[in-house]
Order: sequence, then structure tokens, then C-alpha cells
Amino acid sequence: MTATRTAPKAPPRPAARAVGPRRSRLRYAGTVALFLLPSAIPLTLFTLVPMAGSLWTSLHEWNLITPMRWAGLDNYAELLGDERTLAAFGHTLYFLAGYLPLVYAGGFGLALLLNRARRGRNVLRAVYFLPVVTSWVVVALMWKWLLNPAGGVVNWLIGLVGLEGPGWWTDPNWAMPSVILASAWKDLGFVMVILLAGLQAIPREYHEAARVDGATALQSFRHITLPLLSPSTFFVIVISLINGFQVFDQVHVMTGGGPAGATTVVVEQIYDLTFRYGRAGAASALSWLLFVIILIVTLVQIRAQRRWVNYA
Amino acid sequence: MRRTTKAAAALLTAVLATACSQGSATRDTGAENGKVTLRYFTFSAAPDHVADLDTIVAAFEKENPAIDVVVETAPFADYFTKLQTSIAGNTAPDTFELNYENFVTYASAGSLLDLGAAATGDDGYQPSVYAAESLKAFTHAGKQYALPASFSTVVLFYNKTLFDAAGLPAPTADWTWAEEKAAAAKLTDKDKGVYGDFQPVQFFEFYKALKQAGGEFLTTDGKKTAFNGPAGVKAATWLVDKVGDTMPTEAEIGGTADYDTKLFKSGKLAMWHNGIWQFAGMADAPFEWDVVVEPGDQSKASAVFHNAIAASATTKHPAEAWAWSRFLTSSQVAATTRIKASWELPPVSDQAILAGYLDTTAKPANRQAVFDSLKSIALPPVIARQQEMQDAMTEELSNAAAGRKTVRQALTDAAATIDGLLG
Amino acid sequence: MRKVLRTIPVLLGALVMLFPFAWTVVTSLTPDGALLSSPPDFTPDGAGLDAYRRLLETMPFWRIVFNSLWLGVASTALQLITSSMAAYAFARLPFPGRGALFAVYLATLMVPMQVLVVPLFLEMRAFNLVDTYFAVLAPTVASAFGVFLLRQAIAQVPREFDEAAVLDGAGHLRVFAFVVLPLIRPALATFAIFGFLASWNSYLWPLVIIRSPEFMTIPLGLATLHGQFTTEWNVVMAGSVVSVVPILVLYLFAQKHVIASVAQSGLK
Repeated sequence: MTATRTAPKAPPRPAARAVGPRRSRLRYAGTVALFLLPSAIPLTLFTLVPMAGSLWTSLHEWNLITPMRWAGLDNYAELLGDERTLAAFGHTLYFLAGYLPLVYAGGFGLALLLNRARRGRNVLRAVYFLPVVTSWVVVALMWKWLLNPAGGVVNWLIGLVGLEGPGWWTDPNWAMPSVILASAWKDLGFVMVILLAGLQAIPREYHEAARVDGATALQSFRHITLPLLSPSTFFVIVISLINGFQVFDQVHVMTGGGPAGATTVVVEQIYDLTFRYGRAGAASALSWLLFVIILIVTLVQIRAQRRWVNYA
Repeated sequence: MRRTTKAAAALLTAVLATACSQGSATRDTGAENGKVTLRYFTFSAAPDHVADLDTIVAAFEKENPAIDVVVETAPFADYFTKLQTSIAGNTAPDTFELNYENFVTYASAGSLLDLGAAATGDDGYQPSVYAAESLKAFTHAGKQYALPASFSTVVLFYNKTLFDAAGLPAPTADWTWAEEKAAAAKLTDKDKGVYGDFQPVQFFEFYKALKQAGGEFLTTDGKKTAFNGPAGVKAATWLVDKVGDTMPTEAEIGGTADYDTKLFKSGKLAMWHNGIWQFAGMADAPFEWDVVVEPGDQSKASAVFHNAIAASATTKHPAEAWAWSRFLTSSQVAATTRIKASWELPPVSDQAILAGYLDTTAKPANRQAVFDSLKSIALPPVIARQQEMQDAMTEELSNAAAGRKTVRQALTDAAATIDGLLG
Repeated sequence: MRKVLRTIPVLLGALVMLFPFAWTVVTSLTPDGALLSSPPDFTPDGAGLDAYRRLLETMPFWRIVFNSLWLGVASTALQLITSSMAAYAFARLPFPGRGALFAVYLATLMVPMQVLVVPLFLEMRAFNLVDTYFAVLAPTVASAFGVFLLRQAIAQVPREFDEAAVLDGAGHLRVFAFVVLPLIRPALATFAIFGFLASWNSYLWPLVIIRSPEFMTIPLGLATLHGQFTTEWNVVMAGSVVSVVPILVLYLFAQKHVIASVAQSGLK
């Protein structure tokens, strides 16, 4: 977003180049190559080449053992007609629908509360951020244990208030909520830290001026805090959406896509297609489908931001 | 600064040096002092028969001092994912166990070595040591892609002590579902944590229950599903209705591995549908137990599991792989070790060896039930996309068990998905 | 009064954040028999380090911790080198097609690991690199995100600094190493933290490419342990504790810096 601000104006020509005949120009090209190749080579080999290879694979039927067989767009056609694909995207959307509001509302609420706190803010912020630096696998294992329906702590706590806890990740109806809960717990601190920084960047005078003009706290919140926080909000939503579409680690560890396939998200389906069913072509096609969808969603967001994001 | 540059260079060299070392799974198995290391991957040895497999391996290595067999095990639930992954990654084990259901998938995918070709030059090999039917089951397109290693059946285990305490007669071979259901209801005592019955809700139990209810999984030409009818509904209902009634729910199991094994062994499960591979593990259970042929409905039908040993098409040691596969499946040592340890049954033609299975004082007393169960068997449907079919069936049955779908709806959805896999 | 109303939810929330960690430690010290006791036992009888002993018996866990550490350090170091060099080129070395090339770099940012995992796996397989350190490390060597971040930082360094050096006859490599790099240290630190965390926590790619325990990283080792011992939660939790401690220590030292970096990334 600062890209335009810092875009280089035509810089003065480097001294060496001005003096140089052909040889020094070659040397300059060599210098440029020297600086670029260490990143260009790996990016080509490990991002661009696989992307191209994946597109090629997606047009074939391939079980990884017998030679590839040309399939044209069959993989795509089959995926689009396969209920399991729709289910996988449905589960991913279900995850997003639960996860996004939860982390956003929770993170925003906490940021507002902490923004007012004078003492202990840094300590609390550090505590809330702790799960963010913990790996997904550890978080998923912790929560699987906490939410264990057969003797887990959470159901014991629920039992204390006289209710019966659900089956959590063993129950197809509760498995996705379990994953959402663990995910929101982990990412709450991330959202909070970013929104808190956004809040603190809002000059105090704005609120004071509003109060002088007779604005209520709610009005001040609506007309000053929300608009001025919109860049941070935008950032959080874009990042969370992209991450949400790619959700895998916590699902794979907590449920492996089950029970009864209730948490088979798109990446889990890609994993199964490749490593369980030996269908690399279909898996590649599904990867592309996911990529295009993430791209579209992100582009739409970036376009839409003009209407609601307020860069002061 | 120069020091840091040097340090960075040293780090980089170290990184590159270690980065290029490879895992044991892919390291060349040519190995030390001229010995060939042969990897063998199995699901049926752990946890109860690791020592028995070691006995067979030791006997083989004694006969073939130039071969070193390395055993790798995985639980059945993970086995085929791991096998598939290693084949996908070009790190397939030299030899591995396959079940009959998955044999076609792997044979038609070209992942298996043609053992017939590997056998040429082995004068000691006599196909007649195998039961002819067994040997035939593991041919594909006219080639022998695996050697039959063992077979086993599923029977009804029951805790005689619990039956006696409740004053109920023990199950007999002529029981039907109705008797099993009535007994299970009487034996379930949730306050004491005692359950009447345990039968997993999944593909393998379903195709068998379907046959018991008089239905078929696929049409006779194998091109469409046939289970979505009255017999299918009856079979699925039979499985699903037990959950939470006479059998613990998924929440009560809480993801515990081998929950049913532990439950039966702790004396808190009255009836248990499981395979004869559990005999050895239950030998020291502190109560009286026995087995009986599974109750049927319209007819009797027992599930038979048939396992074989195959070699990877990419193995660098086809001759050694052949020698080991042959030894493991048909040597005298292997057959008698299996019989002695009640480690399933060897698929040998020599009836004298099989008779040894009955001449023992080891539990269970009614070993004859194992042979009786072979009189009417249910074979699993086999298609090229086997794993996808099994997953789809289990998924829909679980939906029905969790009450998310009616049995009818679950069967309709499963049929639609599986028809898609066949088409 | 209002202050109390504000404080209570914040403290309660902090408790919710900390409790799972505490419970993990308690579970790791609990003997097998007391694992599923109801009500949960916060001070189990016979507490001890038995689960840790079993953890080390079943898996080469120190080796796994070491793998995570060195792969994290190597990946971070390589990313810092490759990204800062490219960033310098994009900020200071004009050449034809630079804008277009930078756009290509940025485009790779859009491609997530989850989408690359299958083709990357196939590529590594084609080169027979499945189950090697190299395969784990390779995709993390260059980072378009790092190039972007560091280019911003270099662009903010006043040109006079390095131009003076260039006129003095110093080559670009020396200007880069001795003038520019020291000036963008904060940005390098920020990026190093992101890089290390990403490597330390990554799961999907190691899951796909690694088979042998001796090459596993912590997340993969833990997940494998969980698969082997579904019921032995104390062993699984012991592994979790061991894996959290190094990152926790690192976090405590760099806490302010980590949070500041993240907070800043949202302000852009």
C-alpha cells in the first residue's frame, strides 16, 4: 500500500555506468544478476515451475505410478460435478463464517478494552499473543485434549453449571465448531494486536474535539474510531480470509477431516486426493480451483476497499 | 563484518552438506558388507505378533545369510495411507502386505512386481503348496502379483462370565440378529459401564450385514451399486441402531484407539464382532470367553479377510523380494508359527497343518467356529477406486449413526457417490 | 466501577489464554491411570516425568527439536540473504523490465503453500529428493514477502548515503553490505522473526515430504506421536511442552519486538 509512495523516481545513473563503454555495462548487468539470482532461482524452481507443472498435471489422469494420461478438462468437470468438492468448499465457508466474526469481534473488543487500560497493558498484550507464536499442531493437540468428550476439562466445566457437554470433535455436528473454537483462540491475539496498534494511532485530539462539539461516546466511536480504524480492519480481514481458505493444519490434527467427513475442508480434500486416493491430476485441478477463488476474493476485497477504507 | 561473512559461509556449507543427506526410507538399500537389506511393511504383525514375525524373519535370514529383512509396521487404520504415500514418493518398501480388497487397485496401477517372472529360476517353488483358490485370488490380468499369506474370518466374541451372571444362555451358531439384539439389551448396564454389543459402523461391517440381510453391494456386472434397497436399509439400520443403545457412542469412545479391544478385555463388553486375529491378544483375559459364528438374518455370512505379500514394482532386489515373499507365505516355519500363535490361518493346501489349529488347549474353546464360518462367506466388493468407495460408505453410515441423515438418505447419497466412482 | 467492569473480561480472557498451556503441563506430569479422572485432577498423585521418559524412548525427540532449530535458523538466514539482495536490486539498481519483474515477484506472494504442495511434492519426487532436509528447506529459501518488506525499508534510506559511497568507488556489493544493511537492521529483525516462526511452525510441507523420524520437525513429530498414541495424552502433552519451551523463551526475550513488528504490519 505504500508501494506507490516509495516507487523510485528515475534515479541518477550510477557513476560506473556513465563512464562505461560496453565492458562496464556488462559488469553492471552482472551486478544486477548477482543481486537477483539468489532469490530468482529458488522462486522459479520452487514456485513458478511447480505452478506450471501443476497446471499440466491437472489436465491429466495420473495415479503417480503408471504414465500420465491426457484428460483435457475432465478433472475440472468431474470436480465441479462431484458432491465431495462442493462439500469441501461448503466446509471451508462454514469455517470462515464461524471463525471470522469470532476472531474479529473478540479481537476488537479486547483491543478497545486494552486501549483504555493504563497499567498492565503490555503484559496482557503479551499473554494474548502467546498462542499466536505457538504452532498450529500444538494448539490443535491442546484443544483436542481440552475438548475430549470422554473426560475432558471443558465438558467437566460445562457439567458444573448443570449442562451436558456435546461430543465436540467426535460428533459430526460439533466437529467444525471445535476447530473454529481452537482457531479463534489462537488468532485472537493477532487480531487484537493489530487493531490495538490501529486504535493507538488515532490522535487523542480527535475524540476530544468531538466531545467539545457535544458528540456522545457512541457517535464518537461511529464517526471517528471506526473510519480511522478501517485500514487495520481491512488488513485483518484480507489476511484472515486468505488464511481461512487455506485452513488445514488444525483440521488435519484434530479430526483428519472427519467424523463422517464433516470437516473435510478444501486443502484436506487435496491432501486425500493425492496421498490417499493416488489422484494427482484431480488434486492439482482442485488446487487451481482454490487458487483462483482466493485470487478473486482478494481482488474483490482490494477493489471494494476504496469504498470503505479510509486512509487518513 | 568479515568474521560474520566467514561464519555465514561456514553455515551455508554445513547447511548444504547436511541438506543432501537422505532418510532411511530412500537410502540405497544395497548396504554394508554385501548384505542386501530388504524392507517389509505390514499391518498384521503389531501389536500381538511382532515376536512371531521375528521368528519367521530369523529363520529366513538363517537360510539366506546375505539378506537382512527390516520390518516396518503400521496400524491398519493408517496402513494404506502410508503405503500409498510411500509409493507416491518413490520410497515404497521392497515387500509389503496387501489385503484382497486393495490388491486390484495396486495391481492395476502397476505398482506391483510380477512375481511369476521373479520366480523363474527358483526350482524349489511349488505352486501346489498354496490352496489353489487363494493363489488365484491374487492374480491380475493373468499374472501372479502377490502370494497369499494368511486368511482370517470375523466371528462373534462373547464374554461367558457376563452371560452367566445375567442368567442368559450363551450365543449359539443358530442365533439370528433378533437373539443378539435381545441379549445385548439385557446385558447393557450403562451405570456400570457395561455394554451389550460392539460392531463398528463402517464399510466392512456393512457389506457383510448386507449379505446377511439377503442383499448385494454391486449389481452382478459390477457396474452399479445395488445396496440401496430394503436389504441395505435393514443392514444399515442394524448397525446404526446399536450406537448409543447397546453400544457406546463416538463421544463416549472419545477418539481412544482400540477402545473396543480394551473394553472387551476389561470384561465390560458382552458381545464383540471382531476377527480371529484378536485370539492371541485375548488369551490372558481374566474371564471366560468364547467365539461363535456370527448371527445372521436371512442367511449366514461371515467376512473373510485375505492378505497377501506383494513386492514393489520398483524394488532393486526382485530376487530377494521373491525369496522372502515365498518364505513368509509357504515355508513350514511360517505356517507352523502362525498356527501355534493363532496368528490368522495360513492359506496352505496341506490339511494336516491346518488341523493343528484345532489341536490346542489355547482359548477359545470353540475354534471349530472359525472353520464353520468359512462355509458361507461374504466377499467384499472390489473396484479400482477402492479406498474412495470405502471412505464414502463409512462416511455416510457415520452420518446416519450421528443422526444427521436418515438411513435411507445416507444410503441414497452413498450410492450416488459410489456410482460416480464406478462410472 | 467502570474500570472494574473493563478489567474483569480482560483478565478472564487472559485466563482463557493461559489455562490450556497450564493444563498441558499438568497433563504431561500425570501418570497414565489418572488421565481421565473426573473431576480433573490439578495436582495428580504420583506426578512425575515418566511421560517425558517415554517420549524420548519412542521418538528421537532431541534430534527432532534439533532439526526444527537448525532448519529454522538456516531458512531464516538464507531468506535474509536472498531477500535483502533482491530488495537492494529493486530499490537501487535500475534496469529495463524492473517493474515487470517486481510484479512477478509480488505475484508469487499470492500463491499459498497449500496450493503448491502437490506440484512441489511431484517435483521433489522427480529429483528423488523426497525425505531429505534439502526438500524441507528449498521452498523456504526465497521469500517474495521478504523482498517486498525489505525493499520498502531500503527505499526509505536516504540515497545520499550510498551514492556517496558509490562515487567513492565502492562497488554495489560493498555499499549493500556496509552501508545499506546496517541501516535497515530493524526491518531485517522483523523479517527474521516472521521467517523463523513460519519455519518453526510449518506442518503441511514437512508432513508431505518427510517420512523418516530422523528428519522430522517438531510439528510433524508431534502429530505422528499423536497418531501412534491416541490414548497416551500425557506423552503427547509432554511433547507439546518440549516443543513450546524454546519458542516461549525466544518469545519472552523478543516479545516487545515481535508484537511491534506485527502491529506495524497492520498499519501499512
